[in-house]
Amino acid sequence: MKSRGFIITSLASVVAAGGLGVGGYYWSVAHVQRWTGMDHLGFVNCNHCHLVRVEKLPWAKERPRHPAPAGLAVSPDGRRLYIALDDVNEVAEADTATLQVNRRIKLAGGPYGLLAHPQDGRLFVTLRHADAVVELEPERLTEVARIAVGKGPVCLAYARTEAGERLIVANSLSDDASLLSLSPLAEIARPHTGREPFATAMSSDGSVAFVVGRIAETKDFVTPAASELTLIRAATGRVLKRVPLESAHLAEGLATVASRGWALTPLVKVRNLIPITQVANGWVMSSGLGITLADGQTVQVPLDEANDYFADPSGIAVDPAGRYAYVVSGGSDAVSVVDLERLSDWLSKACELTRREAVDDLSLSAEYVVARLRTGRNPRTITLSPDGRRLFVAERLADRVLVVDTATREPVGHVALGDGGVWDPIRRGESVFTKAAHTFQSQFSCRSCHPDGHVDGLAYDFDGDGIGDNLLDNRSLHGVAGTAPFKWIGSNPSVEVQCGPRFARVLMRTDPIPPDDLKDLATYLQSLPPTGWERRRDLALTPTQERGRQLFFATTRPDGTPIPRDRQCQTCHRPPLFTARIPTAVGTRGPRDATDFFDTPHLLGIGYSAPYLHDGRAKTLEELWTTYQTNDLHGVSSYWSKHQLNDLIEYLKTL
Amino acid sequence: MNNPLNRNRRPGWLAGIFLTVALAAPAALQAEPVVKDGDLPMPLIERFENFGSKDGIPTHKVHAVYKTRDGHLWIGTWDGLCVREADGKFKRYGPEDGLSHKMVLCLTEDPTTGDLWVATMRGLNKFSGGKFTQYTQTNSGLPNNVVYGCDVLDDMVVVATAAGAGILNLKTGQWRIFDHTNSLMHEPWCYAVKGAKDLIYWGVWGAGVLEYDFKKNTWKEYRDPDRDFHYDLVPDDGLINDITSWLSWEDGILWQNTYFGMTRYDGRRFKTWVQDKSPLLSNFTQFVWPHRRVAWIGMDKGVSVTDGEVWVNYEVGTDGEGIRTLHQPGAQPEKTVMNTALANRFVLGIYVDDEEAWFATSDGLSRGVYATPNPYKKLPGIAAAR
Repeated sequence: MKSRGFIITSLASVVAAGGLGVGGYYWSVAHVQRWTGMDHLGFVNCNHCHLVRVEKLPWAKERPRHPAPAGLAVSPDGRRLYIALDDVNEVAEADTATLQVNRRIKLAGGPYGLLAHPQDGRLFVTLRHADAVVELEPERLTEVARIAVGKGPVCLAYARTEAGERLIVANSLSDDASLLSLSPLAEIARPHTGREPFATAMSSDGSVAFVVGRIAETKDFVTPAASELTLIRAATGRVLKRVPLESAHLAEGLATVASRGWALTPLVKVRNLIPITQVANGWVMSSGLGITLADGQTVQVPLDEANDYFADPSGIAVDPAGRYAYVVSGGSDAVSVVDLERLSDWLSKACELTRREAVDDLSLSAEYVVARLRTGRNPRTITLSPDGRRLFVAERLADRVLVVDTATREPVGHVALGDGGVWDPIRRGESVFTKAAHTFQSQFSCRSCHPDGHVDGLAYDFDGDGIGDNLLDNRSLHGVAGTAPFKWIGSNPSVEVQCGPRFARVLMRTDPIPPDDLKDLATYLQSLPPTGWERRRDLALTPTQERGRQLFFATTRPDGTPIPRDRQCQTCHRPPLFTARIPTAVGTRGPRDATDFFDTPHLLGIGYSAPYLHDGRAKTLEELWTTYQTNDLHGVSSYWSKHQLNDLIEYLKTL
Repeated sequence: MNNPLNRNRRPGWLAGIFLTVALAAPAALQAEPVVKDGDLPMPLIERFENFGSKDGIPTHKVHAVYKTRDGHLWIGTWDGLCVREADGKFKRYGPEDGLSHKMVLCLTEDPTTGDLWVATMRGLNKFSGGKFTQYTQTNSGLPNNVVYGCDVLDDMVVVATAAGAGILNLKTGQWRIFDHTNSLMHEPWCYAVKGAKDLIYWGVWGAGVLEYDFKKNTWKEYRDPDRDFHYDLVPDDGLINDITSWLSWEDGILWQNTYFGMTRYDGRRFKTWVQDKSPLLSNFTQFVWPHRRVAWIGMDKGVSVTDGEVWVNYEVGTDGEGIRTLHQPGAQPEKTVMNTALANRFVLGIYVDDEEAWFATSDGLSRGVYATPNPYKKLPGIAAAR
């Protein structure tokens, strides 16, 4: 009897458990379908909509900080090197003779760009996260003045003009430049620039300020990319000319050559509309140097060699004589030395057609690149001593500054700032992210398309599904933690899979990233917060934004008509990440797309990641509900007034 | 050539005869005015130079004219935006160059960046450093694509559209829009806008003039007190009419155009003019450009220039000659026949500075050459700000 009872009890328990399981399954499916309004959905894990807490995400947690060098500046007498350490909120001063750090001062707000006044040595620092420029007295490095500028200032340049002394500041997040007077420190003008301005320079006569945007302008999604070089009258702020750098982006450096009237811009020559099959032929990405001549004409020449690429060129410095330009390659850990005399000779002989096609001829660099100097990990910025005899290279991921004798082109030593942080998996992951060695012939790195983990604003044609089909907008990696699955069709369940062996075969055309490196890479990517998160998260909503928030969470129209659940914003873009991580069809399928269903992107930092939709067809947020809305499938917007649309846009910018 | 308003296109031989007669029989013509420029609050135009298709202007109808601070002359036409180049020819920019629509209605300049803002029948454009950036009702917060007027005030671009008013904050990129649902507008049809230090004035069809204090976020309405559509029953009691066709402001003075007369408001007193009771050429006023407290008024019958006391009118005679009439208080009108005239009497836009005056008309562009070069050098105390 006992065994029979046990069997009956066990069977009953199994049936009950099975019943609970089956019942629970059907209940959960019904629950999901009821609350999403999507009848096609099957079982969906609870954590798509529940149990998500921002504070638990990797990017919301405190991470190790490193003394990574950003901007560099040398005192007028050449005896002191200043180093901005944005990650630890410090500015360091080193002795250029002993290469020892004399002192480090605290300066909150992410000190990034540096400039030493050429006469009196006053130090000007851009605070990237505090949207300000501060003036430091050089002897004690104490703050004597501060001025608010645009968002995300990263670089500044100086000139003495007919109207007085001027600073031009590149504001990377507000797409503009602040023109400042020095006496008093005041903003004169804030002209718009290209997208994400990252470098500035002044002409030697002080007449023209140059600002270059590192991201290509948002255009029609099948139009070749072009970053903008903006020429501004340094005395007044008047915009003189906007020079498109054709098929170029990631322009992060600028220098002028007084003796020749040139402006030099290192750039990435991107051919995103060519199928990715062309990686093997060297036709997707290469490094170049944009030369804007005195007459405004721009010529692009290669920095790469036929079988050896020097990826992610960024900082540039030109010696006082105008003979040599030094260009760092952050992806290849090198400095390319360009003989400007030889480059000038070549230019004088080249016809217009030759000039136009020059950047595609990788054999050409042998004409003027006279040396390649090896550096530590991820050199990003570079500067010269006033006499041009010492070259200082910020090795960002090595936490040190390389010092080179320009006469011998040999290293003199390093200014050590930290230990390189190799113990930190996030740091190791960033090193993988920025290393071009993982791609065929070191043509590019992850950063080449995702500057600092963000977007380059371009659509790419991955050929695995056919040439010309399924063009895909590049998505930001900021805030990706917890937003799996990945890819626009949502087929990759994790960052490791997204960046794994298949990716290596499709894109990098080389061996996969080793497992340990891949793990570090995933750790790094998941440590990236949404763009501008720190500056937005504690701000209260304005009345306009609050109205937009109410519209976002609306469940009924103003007349009381219910909005179907599957068309309420909050259903698919569920907070706190503003994605339910479920592919949905919102009527955006294009003629060359293979599916109606696309991954639901998270909306954190959405205001900074134009263009929008899976193929980048929407250039602005407004276009999502004007030009590209189809039958109220992407939210019910047909009842919105223009006021409401504007309110919603302002709310989305706060996310 | 079939345009009935075109009175200035006569055969060359006719002009020759006219000139010969003028030279041979000066006594037959009225003498030059005894009043010198320096005695008047405004410069006198002694001749007009006209520009049209022969100069590269793509169409006869010119809607707007503006000279930027770098000296370039820009015109907005029915068929594109044009700039006058060093050789005197006009270079055209159209939709193929990035302009959002070929029909340009209004032009203004950002005084610090030099950006030219271009209002069109389909959107607002920024022309900066040789590049157009479009703002439309679908890609931005612009209230409506039909943009009649625009102006730049500090960090703001303000617009008047067919469906409300808008303010674009150039630093934040945020748009604020106003219509009958959130302001004193009775309907959202805005024809004109002008920034005035801490205030913005919008000219609204059927709602007079709205004054917006953007620091206090408050509105004030100026209406025609008698509310009569056709008659100004009580002069100087307020706006002359609620149908505002254009407005402008300079140096503390607001000028309002209507199709029923003209208003001046200095912050304390209103002054109204109609053609039957003043030297105003026509009640159909459609543009005003104030310069040094003098209004240059464009209308269907030519141009009136006044500081409120002295008037100078420029008309086109039946034979295409120019007619200038000076009205001074207590004196008989002095009429002068000029060899040259406005390209057309239907004047849609005006630009005036110390050196010259430009007129956009429905049949070409005209430049007014002053009798005394740079006459305002004698008037240093008057504000130059516009």
